[in-house]
Amino acid sequence: MATTAGHAPADQQASPPQQKQHMNASLIAMLLFIGSEVMLFASLFTAYFFIRYGVANETWPPLKQDGEPFTLPVLLTGVNTLILISSSFTLWWGEKRLAAGDNKGLIRGLWVTILMGATFLLIQLNEYAHLGFTPQDKAFSGAFYTLTGFHGAHVLVGLIVLSLCLRRAYKNDFSHSYNTPLTAGSYYWHFVDIVWVLLFFLVYVI
Amino acid sequence: MLFAFLLVFLLRALFGFEPLYDGGVYGGVAGLIGAIGFLWGIGCFDFWLGWAKGADISEEDHSFHGVSNWKQYFRFNTDHKVIGIQYLGMTLFFMLWGGLMALLIRTELAAPGQQIADGETYNGFLSMHATLMIFVFAVPVFGGIANYVLPIMLGAKDMAFPRLNALSFWFLPVAGFMFLASMFTGMFGAAWTAYPPLASQGTMGQTLFELGVQFAGASSIATAINFLATIVTMRAPGMTIWRMPILAWATGVTSVLAVFATPFIAGSQFLTMFDRIMGTNFFVPDQGGDVIMYQHIFWFYSHPAVYIMLLPGFGIISEVIATFARKPLFGYRAMAFSMVAIAVLGFGVWAHHMFVSGMAAWLRVPMMITTIIIAVPTGVKMWSWLATLWQGRIHIKTPMLWALGFLFTFLMGGLSGVFLGIVPADIQMSDTYFVTAHLHYVLYGGSVYTIFAGLYYWFPKMTGKMYSERLGHWHFWLTFIGTQLTFFPMHWQGLQGMPRRVSDYDPRFETVNSIETIGSYMLGVATIVFFYNIIVSWKSGPKAPWNPWRGKTLEWMVSSPPPLFNFDAVPQVVGGPYQYGIPDARHAVVFAPEEFGGELKEDTRYPVLVVANETLTSQTLIDEIRARNADGLWSFQLVVPVGDGDRSVAERRLATTLAILAESGVSATGRVADGDVVSVATEAAKEIQPNELVIATLPLAESQWMRTDSVDKVRKATGVALSHVVVPANDARALAGTSALPLVMVVATEAIGAEALATVVRTRADAEPARFTVVAPLDLPDPRWGAEANERRRAAGEAMTATINALVNTGVAVEGEVMDDAPSVALPLAIDAYKPSRIIVAGINGETAGLREAAEAAAGDTPVEAVNLGAAAGA
Ligand code: HEM
Ligand SMILES: [Cu+2]
Repeated sequence: MATTAGHAPADQQASPPQQKQHMNASLIAMLLFIGSEVMLFASLFTAYFFIRYGVANETWPPLKQDGEPFTLPVLLTGVNTLILISSSFTLWWGEKRLAAGDNKGLIRGLWVTILMGATFLLIQLNEYAHLGFTPQDKAFSGAFYTLTGFHGAHVLVGLIVLSLCLRRAYKNDFSHSYNTPLTAGSYYWHFVDIVWVLLFFLVYVI
Repeated sequence: MLFAFLLVFLLRALFGFEPLYDGGVYGGVAGLIGAIGFLWGIGCFDFWLGWAKGADISEEDHSFHGVSNWKQYFRFNTDHKVIGIQYLGMTLFFMLWGGLMALLIRTELAAPGQQIADGETYNGFLSMHATLMIFVFAVPVFGGIANYVLPIMLGAKDMAFPRLNALSFWFLPVAGFMFLASMFTGMFGAAWTAYPPLASQGTMGQTLFELGVQFAGASSIATAINFLATIVTMRAPGMTIWRMPILAWATGVTSVLAVFATPFIAGSQFLTMFDRIMGTNFFVPDQGGDVIMYQHIFWFYSHPAVYIMLLPGFGIISEVIATFARKPLFGYRAMAFSMVAIAVLGFGVWAHHMFVSGMAAWLRVPMMITTIIIAVPTGVKMWSWLATLWQGRIHIKTPMLWALGFLFTFLMGGLSGVFLGIVPADIQMSDTYFVTAHLHYVLYGGSVYTIFAGLYYWFPKMTGKMYSERLGHWHFWLTFIGTQLTFFPMHWQGLQGMPRRVSDYDPRFETVNSIETIGSYMLGVATIVFFYNIIVSWKSGPKAPWNPWRGKTLEWMVSSPPPLFNFDAVPQVVGGPYQYGIPDARHAVVFAPEEFGGELKEDTRYPVLVVANETLTSQTLIDEIRARNADGLWSFQLVVPVGDGDRSVAERRLATTLAILAESGVSATGRVADGDVVSVATEAAKEIQPNELVIATLPLAESQWMRTDSVDKVRKATGVALSHVVVPANDARALAGTSALPLVMVVATEAIGAEALATVVRTRADAEPARFTVVAPLDLPDPRWGAEANERRRAAGEAMTATINALVNTGVAVEGEVMDDAPSVALPLAIDAYKPSRIIVAGINGETAGLREAAEAAAGDTPVEAVNLGAAAGA
């Protein structure tokens, strides 16, 4: 036990009574956290749909301040969507390898996933640069940037989490019996992907 | 900070914002960076950063656990008990500020026209008041109580994620001080609801509000996740969900609400903030924006939020009412289910706040129906509390007072809520003082009263000290009367059409408004009494025993305050949490450390010192000891101080009590000691180092010990947690008559009243603990209603009283009865009624043989002894 110079009274430095845990608290916490993230996106989607129905009587897509309609690059983003979805599968494959005792496989899976995620982000940034409208345009553009921006931020967080896992994978820290941080990270990554699929259909396609 | 400005400047330049300088934006970002810097500096991220860097860190590092002096409450700490206190301290601090704002509001409203603040400033006071009260008092304050007691109640050593727990706490001061900081930057004035377009205007204070709400929200989500993980994974063995205390249910349900509702307010504040600092157009109608959308998102959080501020209070009240009514909680499962129902329904009623907002009209009726349905599970709870009180043994201690105050106040608020939920009524009453009355009745009742109930209830556990009961009562009554004075007239005012959130009003409302202002000052005074009580009591109050309220849940089975990791060993839960009044029912068994092997043995039990003399054999005291014994933690040492009294009397009483205790399975030893109560108790306390000292006395007027203030002297001299048991005089003389000690029947006619008879009984009592009944069968002359018979009856009665008094005063458990028939008729009846285990016939010379014969004839198997008191009785 690595008790350093602490504030606890000296006679109470004993370690606490041990108790068997029935379920993995960290995974429960991650699922709950994802639940609250789902609600955050739900609130932003609510905003988006209010705005959408606010202009429902007019044409869709709505017009920009300069009178042109908003257009979104559906095809390019569709490809990007495929990249992100595949990254969920590569991550899943990596975890499978770990379960089979193959740490190398996990490392490979993580690398591919991270690279694909990063590609997604770069393509998305590139899209921002060429869209031809800013968040300060009509309410629709604000909703668009807010939704995609929040999602992008989540991808970034996911990437950081996966990179940390990768680092630990190099140190051989994970095994099929201990992989909680990895599993939690992969839950998060799948969540980020699923949100994107929803977002793509609700904002870009329909 | 400089970095922040630079960053903003660069970003703005990059994206070509006009103008390049906007105080609100810079201030906001500076606030944000400052907040993160603060959290970093205090050490919130150390562990995770260490983990990320791959540094050598240990999950089992408990160096941030526990405190050794009060200054450490201002430091980063991961101990749930410390965090609980930090939470309470911080939220009460914000309550003080919020209360100050309320007094300023009431002062402005004391008379029509302008008193101390113009419209703008008034809006600032109002917004600051509501924001502080809701986001950094009413919502998080329960997190303080639950942080402290919930892990102990569940039998856990801490929360599931102690470091996350610390982080959630430190978000709070960030949020609160951001709100407060806006006083220097121009207060935000769009109330706690912050509706755009009003919220899109205004000063930098509004930006700080939006940021602060994000931190408060993050704090509440993180704690909620933590509570849920704790409840799901950290329960002690045997703690099934149906054996959890209701507080655990309440915290769990609240946490679900917090996890799933809070993101909506985060979303709403992001949107307004983007409108303010990035120039988006969410709420600008001619750019396609929609202001009603804000209200939907906001209330989708804020209606569930009223239950976040309420359900934990329900939990606290359930604990308090069951404990102080000494009855099992009525409808435990209904209580749990109704909370779940409230939470589920609570997500489907948000638009009842928007009936007059211009939202889609078809939404009104469905929302009205769900709103009114929600009153049903609430009613289930109300009736369950009342049914728990019904025929309970109600103890009016301060926590119970608050609980009763809650029942009344919250009922009022619930009723006005149903009015407001009905669309046509609400169209009339919305935005008037009727709403103000409603929300203050529910929030005062549901949050403030319950939190005070909880604070007083667990104060001894948290601090190890007792608060002053007298000041607690003062605090309650001042608050209760103050609340009614301040808020009751608002119903009328609202119905008459006085709008809320305005700094001036029509002169016809002057009288009620000034009454309300007086009421609010009373509330201010009450708050001073409260803080005085807790601060002084914590510093120098008397020491608290482990279980001052005789509660059953696990937190009462550990010391006050609990040890660093709460339990020496994992407790085992064996029954429900509220089995008050059920003999031998136990909620849990606290196992001794492994090396002692399982449950506490006699010699590993903690000693309790019991000091009593005249009241030693009373039922009250024996019940107190038995109740403590049910915890399975204690062994009892009885000490009987005899000053200049009769030593043998004390010995006799001690023998009787020890026998009664032994018979009900209580492990107790005792001795009689010479000297006055203070010195004897002090000596004994020094010798056996008891965990608790129980002193029993007669009521103030009759007690020698109380007259000399001995109880307080003992308290001061020993410094041990002391419980004072007051025994009514008639109980002290009843001498445990109902106990199952062997009953000896003494039959006497002529000998009644004789000193020799009393001596015989005393000798018998000294030989073996027993209780006695003296029976005097009178062979009365005919006619039995004649003068002679009456005279004999009277004489026998007098003699009997003399004998009984002589015996009782010398510590013998005895009753007496004069019977109207000859021995041969009366004794079979008496033996049948009393079922004695032994019969002693005491006669004088000639009559002895006859009495003996009659007794033997009636006795069956019961042994009969005869004594001839002979000449001795003549004296
Ligand atoms: C029987 C249960 C309840 C019903 C039917 C109910 C109904 C309502 C309705 C319809 C309103 C909107 C009035 C208006 O703005 O025109 C309202 C306002 C409010 N209620 Fe309740 N309520 C109930 C319980 C509660 C509880 C338990 C709390 C808090 C602990 C609460 C806190 C509030 C607050 C803070 C407001 C004012 C919000 C604002 O506009 O600032 N209510 N209530
Ligand atoms: Cu509501």
